[in-house]
Amino acid sequence: MRERIASHFDPFVIPFLIGMAFVLGYCLIAMIRVIAQLPKADRKRFLVSLITPKYIWINIRDIFLNCLIHVKLWKRNRVLGFMHSSIAFGWFMIILLGHLEVMLFVPERIHLFYYPIFFNYFVAETESTIQGSLLMFLMDFFLLMILSGIAIAIIKRFASRIVGMRRTTRLSLLDQVGLYSLWAIFPLRLLAESFTAHISGGSFLTIPTNWVFRQFLGNDLNALPTWWAYSIALCVFMCVLPFTRYMHIPAEMLLIPMRNAGIRIRHPRKGFALLEVYSCPGCGVCIDACPMSVRKANCKDCTVYLNRQLRRGNERRIEEISDKCLLCGKCTAVCQVGAQGPELRVAQRERRKYALSPSFAGINVRPMASAVVNGAGGESGGVLYFAGCMTQLTPSIRRATTSLLDKAGVRWQMMDPDGGLCCGRPLMMAGRSEQARELIAKNLEIIRASGCDTLLLSCPICYRIFKEEYALEGIRVVHHSVFFQELIAAGKLQVQREDGLKLVWHDPCELGRGCGIYDEPRAALAAAGEVIEAGKHHAESICCGGSLGSLTLSFEQRRPMVQNALDNLTVENPSEIVTGCPLCLATFVRAADRPVRDIAEVLDSHS
Amino acid sequence: MDFGFKLSPSSAVNLDTVDHARYDRLVRLEPDALTCIGCGSCSATCTAAPWSGMSVRKVILGLQRGRDDEVDAMLSRCMLCGKCTMVCPRGINTRHLILTLCRLNRKGEVVR
Amino acid sequence: MVNRTPVIAIIGAGIAGLEAARQLSALGYKPILIEKAPVTGGHVAEWNRLFPDMSPAADLVQSLEAQTAKVRTMTSTEILSINRLKDGYSLVLSDGNILICQAVLFATGFHLFDASKKEEYGYGIYERVITNRDLEQWFNTRHDARIHNPKAMGFVHCVGSRDIKAGNTQCSKVCCITAIKQAIEIKEEFPDAEVYCFYMDLRLFGKKYEDFYIKAQRDHGIHFIRGRVSEVGEAIDGRVVVKAEDTLNGKPVKVTLDLLVLMAGIVCNPDAQHYAREIGVAVDDDGFLKSRDNVASITESSRPGVFFAGACTGAKTVPETLAEARSAALAIHQYLSKRG
Repeated sequence: MRERIASHFDPFVIPFLIGMAFVLGYCLIAMIRVIAQLPKADRKRFLVSLITPKYIWINIRDIFLNCLIHVKLWKRNRVLGFMHSSIAFGWFMIILLGHLEVMLFVPERIHLFYYPIFFNYFVAETESTIQGSLLMFLMDFFLLMILSGIAIAIIKRFASRIVGMRRTTRLSLLDQVGLYSLWAIFPLRLLAESFTAHISGGSFLTIPTNWVFRQFLGNDLNALPTWWAYSIALCVFMCVLPFTRYMHIPAEMLLIPMRNAGIRIRHPRKGFALLEVYSCPGCGVCIDACPMSVRKANCKDCTVYLNRQLRRGNERRIEEISDKCLLCGKCTAVCQVGAQGPELRVAQRERRKYALSPSFAGINVRPMASAVVNGAGGESGGVLYFAGCMTQLTPSIRRATTSLLDKAGVRWQMMDPDGGLCCGRPLMMAGRSEQARELIAKNLEIIRASGCDTLLLSCPICYRIFKEEYALEGIRVVHHSVFFQELIAAGKLQVQREDGLKLVWHDPCELGRGCGIYDEPRAALAAAGEVIEAGKHHAESICCGGSLGSLTLSFEQRRPMVQNALDNLTVENPSEIVTGCPLCLATFVRAADRPVRDIAEVLDSHS
Repeated sequence: MDFGFKLSPSSAVNLDTVDHARYDRLVRLEPDALTCIGCGSCSATCTAAPWSGMSVRKVILGLQRGRDDEVDAMLSRCMLCGKCTMVCPRGINTRHLILTLCRLNRKGEVVR
Repeated sequence: MVNRTPVIAIIGAGIAGLEAARQLSALGYKPILIEKAPVTGGHVAEWNRLFPDMSPAADLVQSLEAQTAKVRTMTSTEILSINRLKDGYSLVLSDGNILICQAVLFATGFHLFDASKKEEYGYGIYERVITNRDLEQWFNTRHDARIHNPKAMGFVHCVGSRDIKAGNTQCSKVCCITAIKQAIEIKEEFPDAEVYCFYMDLRLFGKKYEDFYIKAQRDHGIHFIRGRVSEVGEAIDGRVVVKAEDTLNGKPVKVTLDLLVLMAGIVCNPDAQHYAREIGVAVDDDGFLKSRDNVASITESSRPGVFFAGACTGAKTVPETLAEARSAALAIHQYLSKRG
């Protein structure tokens, strides 16, 4: 082992140092800004989590699994998973091993930032020892791993279909600079190390390449320029990093602990939202996933483009994208960093100024409250069934639900026999949470007056807000699909199985992705017939297209989305499509080529 | 002196003096407003109608007849539940229509 | 007159097909009627009486059938596929035969909109909700468990018409007058019953239609409410509660009824669309077949040798359909004569 450069310095490290200083400085300031922008309570919560042992462990585990290994991506697409983890993990290991080398051989140089990166230039002949050759071998191994990842990345860029992506994002100019400099870094490192390998040593990769080069290059004059090029490539990449999608690398490392601490989006441009926007790697998985993308015109309205426009500050497009979204949540389900597209959009909608705001504080709910009190006949307990606005338009659901309740001998009464108040979820989705809270207060009054112990909902839109936003301690909030499944399991409801009946369950967005209810409806349906799956199902089910989440999509624009969702449901040729949402039902029933029914109707007709 | 009747401003709509600015802006932002046939489905199905008299049909018509006070009174009771969107035979995006109107002041300007 | 008798295939033996066959026979041709159903007469055969003269529908159908008794008629026969030949068309039939013809007449008529697709009206869910076709059948058979001495009845116009959600944005033309006709007829059966007609616009364009309207108001006291029914609920006693807005009054109305009749609209026969696409005949954006010209040549298609008669090109009344069938027969005659 010997140090080749007496001064321990060469000018070629300057670009690297500039890049490193810039990116570290930028990230530090950005991090402080994000944390400072958090509301006080959130900030405290986050900082406390950073020193809580349980969270420290979870954070380290999640950062390792997500940022380096890309576990989520592996599950989704192995080629892409390999590509990302080979680059991220390989690079991480090279940096780690570089530091290990320095600490092992020249511990007095550890304070020099650039030594671990350009170790082979400054220190020679380390492969003569066991540790040295092992480290050299590992360095070459991980470099090869990264290069294989880069090779896939290049193929993906020019033929995304090969790696299983139908559509991918169009890159901005700076993204392209970042991309090409990233591609350049590792081949340049290979070249630089190869040119130096006969002096500094190498392993299975660098020594053969060194031999090949020396066959036709008589001298070592290529070495220094290549180290320069390597350093410049690093500099370019790090200098453009904050302005490209590669910002996701540092941003995600902060996002993970913040999410683990339970921080939510409160403002579309500040704090957690800002962090999420910068954590978006721009991979474009959400483009194929977005139900709106069946219309080519809407391909640019998915979350990856919202994040991009938020970074650019293009207000017109931000508004347009925020208002168009169906809020189905599928982008979050497929997103590698878990960016919450719907929440971001709702936060954006909440910032909007209105000349006129509705007010519901003056509504007198006493008549409705006394109606439910009289309905209960003075008895407390029992089921209060809130049909909701949409179920008024699908009388079949209401009828089947009440009929099943009677069959099971459940004591029940309607909360809204002649129509009631809206649950508030549509206002919430439109970004008018303040008004929604007024409705919540009014509905709470009625529910409390009824003295019920169970609130039954046949509409997932209502179900979600009753579950999430209503203070209903002591009252069980339950979706009818779950309730009936329990009644069947308990033997209180006898359902006859019909041979040859193939049922496909459509997961409504608000019930599935929104509340995590996937298995109970399927279990209930299994009592009536054979349950088959749609092409995409569970967390990846496709929104029916009728969602109230979208403010601007017109009926005509939704039509292809409805058709696409139906095509997805009918891949296995079911005899009936079954759902648990009146809005999905009404949307599907007019476009479907086969019967579409609510789960209550199916169970009622088989019991 | 009691004449047996009172002098009050005419309740007749004078189309010569009606200001269309707000309606014109609305149809630019949500052209669906133009296709209303006044069938009344929205009013009949409205969740808020029983206690507020809300009616999208009357909102669209009222704007064209200079009845801004009545329009605003109705708009301030809408819960955006979406039933009217569901029943409208012309497929009018009523929720967007209402939200858009709420963003316009009397002069038809979008408030910022 | 032509020497070699050309073959003319008429798809559909409703009144349009029968009338065209009658005219073509009179002109010396030998048309062939192909009918999917086991009987001829189409929708009109299911009807009871026809406006404006309240003449029995059966009389019209029987007279047409009598006059086409010698025409070769293939009932219960479906067309499996239809293909273009150099100077004609070949039809593969469900009985295994292949029919080569020089001219094809689409008399495929219409489909009555499936009222159960309008969930909010509860057809197929509520016992007391029926359609215009159900009511005509009751007039014919006097047998329908759902109709039992009603005290209050309602007619909902425009069910599946002028409705983007139902996939049919056009006016079905005949429902307004049919509703008034049926309202009068049922009022004659149950004179004590209240009858309400819920309409969006009353489109009473034809001969004597306005007289019907006046008669319904003056002689029968039928209530006309300008407002589209938005939803139908159920009262505890099983009667149906109808909600609409009385738009002329600007107030919501609610009424409890023993019988609700949905005036299901006219939509294009999907079979006709299918055949048309097979031989490259244009389908209009309203779903009906597209005439070469909507003013001067309604009965002619964009393809030589393909002709239209009746409701395959849009909603039509009975007299309009008959007139069109005759004019289609003449158009076919001219086409074949020119070919020689």
